Amino acid sequence: MVGSRRGWSYRLSRGIFLLILSLGAVVMLIPFAWTLSTALKPLSLSLVFPPVWWPHPFVWKNFVAVFRRVPLAHWFINSAIVAGAVTLGNLVLDALAGYALARIDFKGRTWLYVGTLAMMMVPFQSVMLPVYLLLRQLGLLNTYWGMILPTLVSSMGIFLMRQAFLNLPQELDDAAIIDGCGRLRMFFQISLPQVTPTLLTLALLTFVGAWNNFLLPLLVANQPHLWTLQLGIVEFQSQYATDWPLLMAASFLITLPVAVLFLVFQRWFVRGIVMTGIK
Amino acid sequence: MKLSTQTASTRGGRETISRPPTGATLSGRRRQDLIAGYGLSLPAVLILFVFSLGPALAAFYLSLFSWTLLNHMHYVGLSNFAGLLHYSVFWIAVRNSTVFALVVVPIQTAVALALAVLLNQNLPARGFFRLAFYFPSISSSAVITLIFMWMFNQLGLFNSFLNWLGLPGPDWLGSPHFALPTIMIMNIWTTAGSLMIIFLAGLQGIPVSMMEAAACDGATGWKTFRHVTLPLLRTTTFFIVVMGIIGTLQMFDQSFIISGGSGGPLHSTTTVVLLIYNFIFAYGNVGYGAAATVLWFLFILGATLAANKWLGQPVEY
Repeated sequence: MVGSRRGWSYRLSRGIFLLILSLGAVVMLIPFAWTLSTALKPLSLSLVFPPVWWPHPFVWKNFVAVFRRVPLAHWFINSAIVAGAVTLGNLVLDALAGYALARIDFKGRTWLYVGTLAMMMVPFQSVMLPVYLLLRQLGLLNTYWGMILPTLVSSMGIFLMRQAFLNLPQELDDAAIIDGCGRLRMFFQISLPQVTPTLLTLALLTFVGAWNNFLLPLLVANQPHLWTLQLGIVEFQSQYATDWPLLMAASFLITLPVAVLFLVFQRWFVRGIVMTGIK
Repeated sequence: MKLSTQTASTRGGRETISRPPTGATLSGRRRQDLIAGYGLSLPAVLILFVFSLGPALAAFYLSLFSWTLLNHMHYVGLSNFAGLLHYSVFWIAVRNSTVFALVVVPIQTAVALALAVLLNQNLPARGFFRLAFYFPSISSSAVITLIFMWMFNQLGLFNSFLNWLGLPGPDWLGSPHFALPTIMIMNIWTTAGSLMIIFLAGLQGIPVSMMEAAACDGATGWKTFRHVTLPLLRTTTFFIVVMGIIGTLQMFDQSFIISGGSGGPLHSTTTVVLLIYNFIFAYGNVGYGAAATVLWFLFILGATLAANKWLGQPVEY
C-alpha cells in the first residue's frame, strides 16, 4: 500500500510475527511428535528421566503388538459401524428435513424450524441422564442402536442443509413442477446434486464427531465386545497404565483415519468450521 | 401431477412466483406440499425431539422424584433441589466448572484472535500454520487426554522442560492444585486452532476499504486493531464466546478420563456434568442428578443470555 511500510520496521515486525507463529506451531505439534516417539520406543526407554526424543532401537512392532494386547481391530470395527451409520443417517435425514424446511411451503414449517434451532441449546452432555434412562427404557443399552440413534440427526446438520437448499435458484423447481415431477424425485435429481459440497462438509464433521465420541459409548456400552476405539483405549489405559509405548501406538492408530480425512479434505473441514463452529 | 398444479409453487425463502390461483388445483398442490413437507422433515425432527426436547423435559419431571433406578419412584416435590443445594460436593462442582469456563474462555478467545490476526498478515507458509493449529481439533478428547496424561506425568516431558528452565515440576495430575489447571491448558491447546479459523473468516469478511480508510487517517498497527478490527469482529467474538461458554460448562470427558471417573484428587476435577454422571452410575440417585441437570441447564442459559446482552448487538458497517 504505502511505500514507507516496506522499510526495516515492516520486515522486523513480519519476522517477529513469523517467529511467534512458528513457536505456536511447535507447541501444537509437540504432543503428536511425542506420541509417535513414545510409540516407537521400548518400554524401558519410555520411562527414563529426563526423557529422550529419539527411539533406540526403533520398535516398529509396537504397532503390531498392541493388536495382540487388546482387541483393537474389534474396536475399529465397532467405531466404523457406529460412525458410518451415524454419518449415513445424518446425510439422509438432515438433508431431507433441510430440504423440506427450505423449499416446501407448508403450514407449520416455521414452528418446526424454530423448534429445530432451539435444540441447539440442548447439548448432549447436559441431558445425559434422561437420555440414558430413555435408552434403558427402550432396551437399547448394550446395542449398536443405542450408540447410533441419539446422534442420528443433528439440529446443526439440518440448519446447514437448509442454508444450502435456500441458496438454490427457484427456476429449476418451477420447471420440475410444471413437468409434473414428484417431490422426492425433485429432491434427488435436481436439488441434492447441487448441494454436494455441503453434503461433504456435513459428512466429514459428522463422521469425525461420531468417531471421536466418548460419552455416548460410555453410557451405552458396558460390555467389552461393544466398546468403540475411544472407550476401549481409555479402558486400556486404566488397566495397563504403565505401558505407554503401546498406549501411544494405539492413540496414533486411532487418530490416523481422521487425520488422513482431514489432510485430504482440509478445505471442506475449514468450510464446516466457519459455518457451524463445530470442532 | 398435472400441468395445472404449478400454481402454488414452493417458496424457497426467496421470491414467490405469483400466478392466479385456480381453486381446486391450488388446494391440491397445497395438500401435496403439506404431505411432502411433513413427510420429509418429520423423521429427522421426531428423532431430534425424542433425544433432545424429550430428555430436557424429562429432567424437570424426574427432578421431583426420588429414585435409585432399582426401587419405585416416589414424588418428593422440590426436596431434591433443597438437598442438592446443601450438598457440599455440588458447590465444589459448580465452582470447578465455573472457574474452568472463566479461565479457559477468555484465554482461548484471546489466543485464537491473536493467531488469526497474525495469520491474516501476508506471511509465507500460511497453509502449513493453519494445518498445524487446527490439527488438535480433529483428535478425540480421549486420545488428547491420554497424551496429556503422559506428557504431564510427574516424570514426563513437560516437567523435564520445566527442569531445563530451572523450575520445579509439580505432580500435575496427582495434586489437587494442578489437576484442573492441566485440563485448562489441554482445553486451550485443543480449541484455540479451530476458533482461530472462525476468527480468520471474520477477519477476511472485513471490507478492505475500512482498513485503507484507517491507514489513510494515519492509524497503524495496534490502533487499527483496537479501533477498527476489534469492533468489526464483535459478531464473530460473540459467537466464539457463546460457543466457548456452552462448551466449557459441559466439560466431562477430560475430567472423567484424568480422574478415572472419580473427579479426584479431592474432588478437584469434579465438574457438574461429571457429578451428574456419578449421581446415576456411582450413587444411584436419579432425583439429585435430574435436579442438577435442571439447575445447570438454567445456569448455562443464563450465562448465554448474559453474553448476548454484553456482546450481542449487531455490527454496523
